Amino acid sequence: MSARTTMGIDIGSTASKCIILRETPNDGRENGREIVSKALIPFGAGTSGPVRVIDQALADCDYRKEDMAYILATGYGRNSVEAANFEMSELSCHACGAYFLFPGVRTVIDIGGQDVKVLRIGKGGALDTFVMNEKCAAGTGRFLEVMARVLEVKLEDMARLSAQSTERVNISSTCTVFAESEVISQLARNKNKRDIINGIHRSVAGRVAGLARRVGVEKDVVMTGGVAQNSGVLLALENELQTDIETSPLSQYVGALGAALLAFRKLGSLEA
Amino acid sequence: MTMSTIGELLNQFDMIASNPKAQLEKYIAGGKQAIGCFPYYVPEELVRAADMVPFGVWGAEGTINSAKKYFAPFYCTIAQMGLELALNGKLDKLSGVIMPSICDTLRPLTQNFRSAIPQLPFIFLAHPQNRRAPYGVEYTKSQYGSVKQKLEAIAGKAITDSALKDAIRVYNESRAARRKFVKLAGQHPESVSPIHRSAVLKSAYFMDKAEHTALLTELNSQLEALPKSDWKGSKILLSGILADSKNLLQILADHNMAVVADDVAQQSRAFRLDVPEADDPMTALALQFAGQDYDVLLYDPELNKRPEHVVNLTRENGAQGVVILMMQFCDPEEMEYPSLKQALDKADIPSVSIGFDQQMRDFGQARTQLQAFADVLSSKR
Ligand code: SF4
Repeated sequence: MSARTTMGIDIGSTASKCIILRETPNDGRENGREIVSKALIPFGAGTSGPVRVIDQALADCDYRKEDMAYILATGYGRNSVEAANFEMSELSCHACGAYFLFPGVRTVIDIGGQDVKVLRIGKGGALDTFVMNEKCAAGTGRFLEVMARVLEVKLEDMARLSAQSTERVNISSTCTVFAESEVISQLARNKNKRDIINGIHRSVAGRVAGLARRVGVEKDVVMTGGVAQNSGVLLALENELQTDIETSPLSQYVGALGAALLAFRKLGSLEA
Repeated sequence: MTMSTIGELLNQFDMIASNPKAQLEKYIAGGKQAIGCFPYYVPEELVRAADMVPFGVWGAEGTINSAKKYFAPFYCTIAQMGLELALNGKLDKLSGVIMPSICDTLRPLTQNFRSAIPQLPFIFLAHPQNRRAPYGVEYTKSQYGSVKQKLEAIAGKAITDSALKDAIRVYNESRAARRKFVKLAGQHPESVSPIHRSAVLKSAYFMDKAEHTALLTELNSQLEALPKSDWKGSKILLSGILADSKNLLQILADHNMAVVADDVAQQSRAFRLDVPEADDPMTALALQFAGQDYDVLLYDPELNKRPEHVVNLTRENGAQGVVILMMQFCDPEEMEYPSLKQALDKADIPSVSIGFDQQMRDFGQARTQLQAFADVLSSKR
């Protein structure tokens, strides 16, 4: 029998991600799965992103949609993925995906486009407890996007610029709207952009750390989501929480990966 | 007369809970006067004893427009929507309102309401925080005395001791029936959905209590006759001020979470305690308030009594977790949250806190959290 494959689709607010997983011969590891394809489209729920991300993930491997034994959707737009057999909360999927990549993980900090979530992982990778930000863009990817626009820098350049900071500038407000005017007034005072960006990263870290302390931070700590790609925020968060934080080049795919893994679990319970 | 089925009875409660306007108009058309009762701890027995209908006003789902003029945005929606309803003429048919002032949000509401709606007879009620000591009981009694006088003026008749005793009896019966229903609904979640459970309890605020008890007694006896339930989903306790949002309750139902108990201000907390026996009915009403406890709103010298109470309720009722519906901008709830969370964690009871207000339109984040919470609970079963 050929190895079974599953698809995990994570439709976020600003990006759609897809992972195709294949069973590998049992090598003694609990998770005998390998990633055969992954795709990311920078358009999220309500856009062409969900359809395109599936097409792209399939185009990059030798499988067709019909070959998928199970398709599981997650993320903000999970309810509108027609191809899916099932949908699950991204909190459960993130816990599962992070545990696959980092078996020692106890705390996951996920900063996405409009959400911040902190998860505590129990034994065997099960989600134990969690907290999410409420109705406020502070500390999210959206916050960083707004700041990048005001500062006329590219989002992907923020980490590099922040690393060159020489003077401490504090962005005290955690509200996106007020922080924006604070940044503008710092610019008007001729403060260096690099220092302002560093201050923005510390402001995000402060906000996220507050949330993380609500569930309690235990090692190993892993950061996921698009913002994990920004080493400036990662560093600021390490300082704020006084702990090492691991991340992965797959940080944006953790939800989709978890969905594809949970799809295997669903298959198992269907067959049982 | 044929008996209504459980489903028919539940739908009847739901109709009433969803249409307070029709209820109010029905009582007015029948020649009754109605008195708006704002949260919390209004001695409704006095209204009944004056031959008027107490009508609950706990805000409403909607959008705040006119009331914005009177409040900063960080006021809870119960207060803001209460005034919004009045400004939009929705309370015009009432003959008066009783407005307690037990939290820092209700206090300014009372004064804003008074100046914004001068045409509506207004009854201010200040409960004492030191409610148990004899001087506290005396104070409550004097406050209730002034409520009584104003109600008598509106009704144009005196409230007699015997009418008040009779009202107390009707209310104690209603409380007992509602407590019994809460137990039965928890035991038969396949027959009583979270939305229906809420409708039964909420409708009591818009109904003559004797009528409500009669209908509820019929429902209770049918629920009692059901075979033992074999519920496969999870069981939760609800904590909060309000838990009547159909959108939120539907999410619980969608993920097979049964509400087996609650510590919600508008639900069980409102009928936990009967009015005790006493020769003087006014003293009896004051003693009931003196006995109230386990509430974010009430002074608690031990600070931690409600969290412990929630832990005990969870255990006693076999709930596996607690869903905390946290009213946005409710200081009393937010200030208590750390100790509540700590008590639940210590007792190894999973919990989730969902921010909620009456203007909420987007339930996506709540759905994500509740769905994940259902996963957490089922992984622990
Ligand atoms: S107790 Fe909370 S919800 Fe109730 S009126 Fe006061 S602030 Fe608002």
